[in-house]
Amino acid sequence: MRTQRLGVGMTEAGLLDGLLAAAVLAAVAVAVLPRARTAQSFGFLLLGVVVTLVWLRLGSVDVALAEAALGGGLLGAVLVYLTASSPTAGQPPSAAAYRWVRAVVGIICGVVVAVVVGAVWLRVEATMPAWEEPVAAQMDATGVEHGITGVLLAFRAYDTLLESAVLLFAAATALLLRQHRPRPAALPVRSWGPSLQWTARITAPVLLMTGLWLLFAGSTDSGGAFQSGAVLCAMLIVLHAGGVDLSGVHRWLRPLLVAGVLVFILAGVIGPVLGEPWLSWQPEWAFAAVLGIEVLLTAGIAVGLYAVFLGMLPEDLPSSQTPQEVSR
Amino acid sequence: MTLMVSEFLASEFLASQSLGAVVLLPLAAAALCVLAPRAERSVGLVGVLVSAGLSIPIVAAVSSGQTLQLVLGGFDAPLGIHLRADGLSVVFLVLTHAVGVVVSGYAAASATTPRGLWALWLGCLAGLNAVFVSGDLFNTYVGLELVGLTAVALVALGGRSAWRPGLRYLFVAVLGSLLFLIGVGVIVSATGTLDIEQAAGVFAAEEDLAPAAVTALALITVGLCLKLALVPMHAWLVAAHAAAPSAVSPLLSGLVIKAALFVVLRCWLYLTGADLAGSSGATTLVWVLGGLGAAAVIGGSVMALRQTALKPLVAYSTVAQVGYWFLAFPLLLDPDAAEGAFAGIVALALGHGVAKVGLFLAAGYLKDTFGTDEIEALRGAGHHHPLVVMSIGLVGVGLIGLPISLGFTGKWQVATAAVEAGQWWILAVLVAGTLLAAGYLVRVIAPLLMEEFLGHETPPETRNFRAPTGLAVLTLGVLTIVTGFGGVWINELLEVNAPW
Repeated sequence: MRTQRLGVGMTEAGLLDGLLAAAVLAAVAVAVLPRARTAQSFGFLLLGVVVTLVWLRLGSVDVALAEAALGGGLLGAVLVYLTASSPTAGQPPSAAAYRWVRAVVGIICGVVVAVVVGAVWLRVEATMPAWEEPVAAQMDATGVEHGITGVLLAFRAYDTLLESAVLLFAAATALLLRQHRPRPAALPVRSWGPSLQWTARITAPVLLMTGLWLLFAGSTDSGGAFQSGAVLCAMLIVLHAGGVDLSGVHRWLRPLLVAGVLVFILAGVIGPVLGEPWLSWQPEWAFAAVLGIEVLLTAGIAVGLYAVFLGMLPEDLPSSQTPQEVSR
Repeated sequence: MTLMVSEFLASEFLASQSLGAVVLLPLAAAALCVLAPRAERSVGLVGVLVSAGLSIPIVAAVSSGQTLQLVLGGFDAPLGIHLRADGLSVVFLVLTHAVGVVVSGYAAASATTPRGLWALWLGCLAGLNAVFVSGDLFNTYVGLELVGLTAVALVALGGRSAWRPGLRYLFVAVLGSLLFLIGVGVIVSATGTLDIEQAAGVFAAEEDLAPAAVTALALITVGLCLKLALVPMHAWLVAAHAAAPSAVSPLLSGLVIKAALFVVLRCWLYLTGADLAGSSGATTLVWVLGGLGAAAVIGGSVMALRQTALKPLVAYSTVAQVGYWFLAFPLLLDPDAAEGAFAGIVALALGHGVAKVGLFLAAGYLKDTFGTDEIEALRGAGHHHPLVVMSIGLVGVGLIGLPISLGFTGKWQVATAAVEAGQWWILAVLVAGTLLAAGYLVRVIAPLLMEEFLGHETPPETRNFRAPTGLAVLTLGVLTIVTGFGGVWINELLEVNAPW
């Protein structure tokens, strides 16, 4: 995930900004200070929400959406699951003196880093990125209208491709390591009440529509593969929690996971075949290529994140649904 | 027809397109491995060989004196991304593929290779290639992320006991990436571009940007030194490299940390260039790095001497060898000594790449054969595996820095540069490090060779040297010596787009 908008309009900080800053600090304190896992988890969830608001306030809608979906939604699912499955497990409390040393060293390091980075940020005479003009001039060649989608899938498509590969490997690793996971003595909450199943079935269609909207709005407005994929993953997690049979998805997990990256590379190789550089989209089919890749990447991101979630669960699925069986 | 084919093979078109292909085709092969885990070994081997084949036109073009460039998607920098290959890129590409092919052969033949290795190793290879041919700072960050994540995952394949070191490695790698990214952020806000050549141009033209350059460089260097385990940021390396599977430890020690070293050199010499020679901030920084390097050479070697198990010993030896690269850093700001010091650092890094991969592979071979890597339990193993122990001796020549090996060439160049700059203490550290290295390697070899085999009543079945795994170890031993003759070629390559 990257921040695309570096140049934020410098305006006077108001009361709202002060409140947001205080809220960030409070959320961090809730996440770090308590010793109970439940409290820490909720601190992180709160932090996700507050940081989303900060990004909105800074005018970066795309980053805010990504933060809401990933930092709030997905991380939330993971944290809540871990808290529910092992509320007490953790490091044995270290000696009090040692803890103090750690805290002091941590605070000193934090202050030094913050001061240095802050000083640099303020003293460097910020040059506006030299790519703002070329972006405007070359947007026509990309087949999309939204600047960020243009950057992600045309100008810097190579970075996006490698980032998607990073997620692919993270998901593949989660599936691999899952086979080594011991079964926990007591399976965490498996018996969802009927109200939760109900909620899952009502929420899922809404999440599906939101995800698709974010995907297709991405070519003209904020949104795109990463945000949409995260929302669709949330839908899968909600359905999984609601006890819906997802064996179809599990069977297609690996093909969906790699399709985006493979098709991206295949589309990229058309360039060298035609005597152009890698990842060159010809204007005639640029829109089709970008749209096709974005749809497949979204699917890959959704199941990739879902695989990371699955990797956390003990392997309690019937054998026909386990990942290694899927590939047969 | 043959003429057309040979013309195409020698064309600049093929060479520059290979810059993209050398990253994207291994990545495609990795995706196929994830899709079809049953075919992962054959797909993986093909992927590694394709990558090695694609690097040949790049090496050929650059050794003829040309700097290759590919403008991805036809979008010029600063908007788009340029891939570039110069002398520095090519020497690391050659190391990666020479060593990568041999380790792949070992992994394909070994019965202990864990499932899932090939997808991750191909992803790691794609990431290494991406870092070496990148002409863009953010893209370098993405490449480092790809290398880092796959490396962590490869450690975790070592089983439950490897998870904790793997997780620690993950935290360290991510922290290092973040510091690097903040440094890149400073560079963008100072120069307005992510392209390394363009940013270098702005830094050279505007002298008042020097403080920003030094701050960025400090952040980038600390971030990357976390990733390559410079003392005192080294503790994670010993745990992670020792816990990783036999085929993985060599890749981590030999190749993965080289990606971070490559970026450090790229940023210090090509991005900010010689214009920092007068800056007091940069001078302080190189002296701190030089001091840490000296501490690493001595401390790492002493710790290696104190180990009782083979793999941790080899891992501490890596910590010591990392020290040599930074020991020479103070010389980089001295106009008379910089060129020699740079060539020396590169030769040491390449020599370490080959020799350390060989040593880790030999350690893994012994551990897999005997079920333990405690030196005490491996006494007399040389009677049954003479060629493995001989290979340890050969790579030892490289690690100690005896002629003929790149380790010797590198130490010689650093020593000459140190004399030219009048920094005699560097010589003293080099000599002490050499003696200590000889000490810990003798500590490994002597029990293997001299003593009676005590570990088992009857030694386990020796698959010795008809087995491809043993041949892979021997190949690296031989390569350690053979590459010693390549010093001149490396120096000529480094002339292509040299920073001075």
